[in-house]
Amino acid sequence: MPQGRKGRLNYRCPICFAREIDMDLFYDQAEDEYYCIRCPYIDTEKEILELNEKNKFRYKSGFIRIRDF
Amino acid sequence: MDKFILNIIHRPELVPEYIEKTAASGKTEDVSRQEVISESLDIFKLQQKIAHDCGFKTTIQMTYSSLLDEQAVNLVKHDSEKYGDEIGMTFIGLTCKDFRERFKTKEIAIWLFSMEDKKKITDFMFSRFKQAFGFYPRSIGAYYLDAELVSYIKHKYPEVHCAVATCWEEGPKAYRNANNSWYTFLDGGPFNPWIPSKSNIHCPAVDESDDIGIVAIPHLSRDLLAVFDGPGSFFGTHPQNIMRGLVYKGEKIPYLYNLIDQYKSLKQYNKGYSYNMIFVGPGWMSKSGRWEAPYELLVKNYENCMAYYADLKKKNEIEDKTMSEFALWFREHKPYKEPCCALWKDILFGSEKQLFWYVDPYFRVAIDMNQGGAIVDLRPYAAKLERPVGVGTKHIQDASYPYIIQSFYRAGFFTHYAGEGAIKSCTIEYNGEEVDLCTCRTQAHFKEKNGLRILSLNDVEIEFKDLTIKVASQFELCEGSGEIIITRKITEISDPGASLIINEYLTGCYGTTEYPEDLTGVVLSGTSRGNKKKKEIKYAYKCREQVIADVDTVQAVIPQIASKLTLFPVDTTAEGYFREGYAFSPMFTIGLKKSCKYKEEYRSCLRVEKED
Repeated sequence: MPQGRKGRLNYRCPICFAREIDMDLFYDQAEDEYYCIRCPYIDTEKEILELNEKNKFRYKSGFIRIRDF
Repeated sequence: MDKFILNIIHRPELVPEYIEKTAASGKTEDVSRQEVISESLDIFKLQQKIAHDCGFKTTIQMTYSSLLDEQAVNLVKHDSEKYGDEIGMTFIGLTCKDFRERFKTKEIAIWLFSMEDKKKITDFMFSRFKQAFGFYPRSIGAYYLDAELVSYIKHKYPEVHCAVATCWEEGPKAYRNANNSWYTFLDGGPFNPWIPSKSNIHCPAVDESDDIGIVAIPHLSRDLLAVFDGPGSFFGTHPQNIMRGLVYKGEKIPYLYNLIDQYKSLKQYNKGYSYNMIFVGPGWMSKSGRWEAPYELLVKNYENCMAYYADLKKKNEIEDKTMSEFALWFREHKPYKEPCCALWKDILFGSEKQLFWYVDPYFRVAIDMNQGGAIVDLRPYAAKLERPVGVGTKHIQDASYPYIIQSFYRAGFFTHYAGEGAIKSCTIEYNGEEVDLCTCRTQAHFKEKNGLRILSLNDVEIEFKDLTIKVASQFELCEGSGEIIITRKITEISDPGASLIINEYLTGCYGTTEYPEDLTGVVLSGTSRGNKKKKEIKYAYKCREQVIADVDTVQAVIPQIASKLTLFPVDTTAEGYFREGYAFSPMFTIGLKKSCKYKEEYRSCLRVEKED
């Protein structure tokens, strides 16, 4: 298999992010897929972005303005 | 007073950390190449422009490599003359080719060097700074500056009077977040500026004789709830934090504005004063993007952040100062023993959780309303522990100030099947049933009166099998005393004749990480009120317990961290007890039990002291 490289942006592993670990993903050009060297995560850029959005699930008030302090 | 003060700090890193890392490993071409320097300087210039366009002056902290670069020096001189920016110096961004060759090392963190090397590096940088600018810096910084180094700097360069000195709660959580590779073990400090003790940078000075000579500010203003249980680098007043934590939708960053607003609101707990800081380098705004975000979005976020501060400034709701201006103001307005408080509420997870933070020269404490007002963090500043760090010292990387309670590291109320966790709470007992207030979520209100910071909790309802009660709790934190007085009162009851047992307890240990330390040598004791008879347990993991019927005090002395905790009833009688743990439950408990009826108050006091 070819050498893994950094992708276009430093995408992080969404599975590791969910457990609050920042792991940069490596990119396999031949397979056109990103993979994590810590956990078994493998996915495409599109799916990484989708999972990143899903990972925001716990920020229930993170995207609204709060005025009462 | 009505003051919200902002420090904006930029640093021109000519070799950003993210590029330097691979260069130091010999894996890429020469990072001193002109395009890297130009890009880094361009980003710094852009950050400066964004701040200046919004009408702000900045503090520019020169890095090692920028001190050696004529272009950077001239640029900074220009901005200082034109915009009134302060020129300071930082130990962040040490490494570059010159540094590696001159000091024969790839080390990046100033506090991790031996004291001898810290002095050499400091003297070299101060000398280069003076060559470049003709004076010594008035403000300095790093992710962490140990008291020993700050004392050296202050002695040799008395002009310095402000420093970025710690990162709030960057400890094991930050280490883990960085795949166990980021050695900033700096937990346990104040969350807002303070004057540090000569003994330990985390501890506020108690008086002039203890004053290290600078005003310290924490690196970034962080979310006091999210960061207590999450990575510091996700939730702070740095647009990169927000990007890294994925707390944004497109270009919208309401969480950052909420964070700034909540810091602004801390005026209500601190005699009308509040503080915010933002400290950025060029690396996070890289043209190749960062944290999944493209360059354009990174720039937009910084523009939005500064525009928000600018809006506040237009409304006279914020005042920008340079670091040394702020230090002068702080010394004029803040007495040594005045505490720093925050009744912080969740602005991220959609809960109604509140954490109350209190910092003074005697302790740092966090009271969790989500657990009925349990103390979930306690750092004995009264001990003023001298804990040098760096190569050649006992602790090397571990610069955290030890806790006696850190409930998220050491279990707290909830443990798996066995043992106890570190927490200060209270149980109510009736007819063989027992309910811990940790299970009773509530909300708190703050007021200040006669040197007391008073936290009053809403009543919580407790249902026993055949009795229902409501309990009120109040915490009085006495400025300059190292004491917390806790009052419990049964405010409603289904059977007015019923009698209950209120058990104030503290389960503690000591440490700086999630892992247990050896408690051998801890001494638990209690003294009776009448004949002053004393009982004692020397900790040996034997699961022993002692009871004192009419107690004067119960105590835990922890020689490993030179600390003493004392619990005693206030204006009343109580039964005292103390208990050692066992290897699967490496904790100790001290407690007071008191029989109480409807409308009776039960007051007790927790005192934190140094044990010589």
